[in-house]
This record gives sequence, C-alpha cells and structure tokens, in this order.
Amino acid sequence: MLNLMLKEDLINRLKTIVSPYAQNKEALDSIHEETDFINDLKINSANLVDVILDVEEAFDIVIDNDAMEKMLTVKASMEVIEAKLSEK
Amino acid sequence: MIGNDLVDLHCASIESNWERKGFLDKLFTATEKAHIHSGADPFLQVWKYWTMKEAAYKIYSRMTGIRNFAPPKLCCTPGEHHYGTVLTDGLKFYTCTDTTDNYIHTTAALHSGQLADIRIEIIHYLGEMPAYASKNPACVSHHGQYLALIY
Repeated sequence: MLNLMLKEDLINRLKTIVSPYAQNKEALDSIHEETDFINDLKINSANLVDVILDVEEAFDIVIDNDAMEKMLTVKASMEVIEAKLSEK
Repeated sequence: MIGNDLVDLHCASIESNWERKGFLDKLFTATEKAHIHSGADPFLQVWKYWTMKEAAYKIYSRMTGIRNFAPPKLCCTPGEHHYGTVLTDGLKFYTCTDTTDNYIHTTAALHSGQLADIRIEIIHYLGEMPAYASKNPACVSHHGQYLALIY
C-alpha cells in the first residue's frame, strides 16, 4: 500500500496529466481516488489514449493493453502506475 | 440493441493528434493500422474506425455490463460501401458509417437487418447542448457541435 503522502502526490500528478482533457473543471478541482475519467471528468473517450500516453511519458513506464483496459478511474490508474513502477 | 458514435471532424483535428507517437498502437490492430496508412486519407480512416469501435462498444458494454478501455480488441473489417463489421469477445456487430465534410457517424447493431430500420437524427448546435431526454433515443452521441440520436 502506498502511504498517504505518496498517494496524494500521485493523485496530484494525475490531476496535472488529465487537466487539459477534463471538460468538467469542478470535478477536476475535487479529483479523488474514485473519480471516473469519462463519467465525472467528462474526458472525451478519444482523449483517453492521450491520458495513457501522457502517463507513460510522465512516469517513464510502458502500459500494455491489458493494463490500459482498466484505466477508467483515478484509482485504477494509480494501481497500474504503482505496479509498473515496481517492475522497474 | 443498437449503438452509435459521432466524431466532429473539426474538433477531432484540434483535440487529437492521430500522428502522435503511440496513438495508433494503443487504439488499432495491425490490420487496421496497415489500412489506415495505405489509404488515401489516414485522418478520415482513423475516425471512421474509431466511430465503428465506439458504436459497437456501446452495445457490447450494455449487453455484458463490462466497462473497459480496450479499443484494439474491437476489430474492424470494412465491408461494401459504408458497411462494416466489428468483432469482439466472440460477438459480431454490424455497422453503417456516414461520412460528411463535417462529421463521421456510425450506427451499430447486432443483426445486419436492423441497420436499415435505425432512424438517425443529427442536430447541429451552437453553445448549450439541446435537451433530448424526452425524445427517448436508443443511443446518443455528442461531440463538438453535433448531437446524434438514434431510434
């Protein structure tokens, strides 16, 4: 488990990444683990691929298709990032 | 069960860069990518395949209750004219795509015969998106300045 500080740091980094694509700025301001990229942030589904590519660049990780499938929420993305970082 | 997806081409050209490194790899199969690169208009082919995948996914997701982001698993095959099919998870969806100068719209159905019976309403709007709940559409898609309802 990530400790609280690391978790907050990860959410903040994700917030920066999704911010250009999020159409619901209020939901972006109050982003938390359960935030859904499409339903809450109103990210266009075609821009999800940009979020994935931006995450790969920001964390210097490779996200395979199986991991990408799950990345619809902040929480799922944090789990993917954490897992990929631990493989390094 | 029917599904649809619309891409506003003007918006797509601003909001997405299909030539970005990794973009096509994350969304399309090897066959689809080869077709995109060999065609006369890669930009249009990217968004045509994308709307086919999204329209099929909307039915798939409602049928199975599964939510995911797995575009490469939705395999598109172009058919005659504007028809095509999308295969995923052992299921086959039939599609029909309408391409204009301004948008691409695809409808999808589980049976090819259903496609002809789908009524399509595309509303061009500026500013606030029009209210459509009372129209009770079977599926809705909006992007940029277009709202597509199917019945």
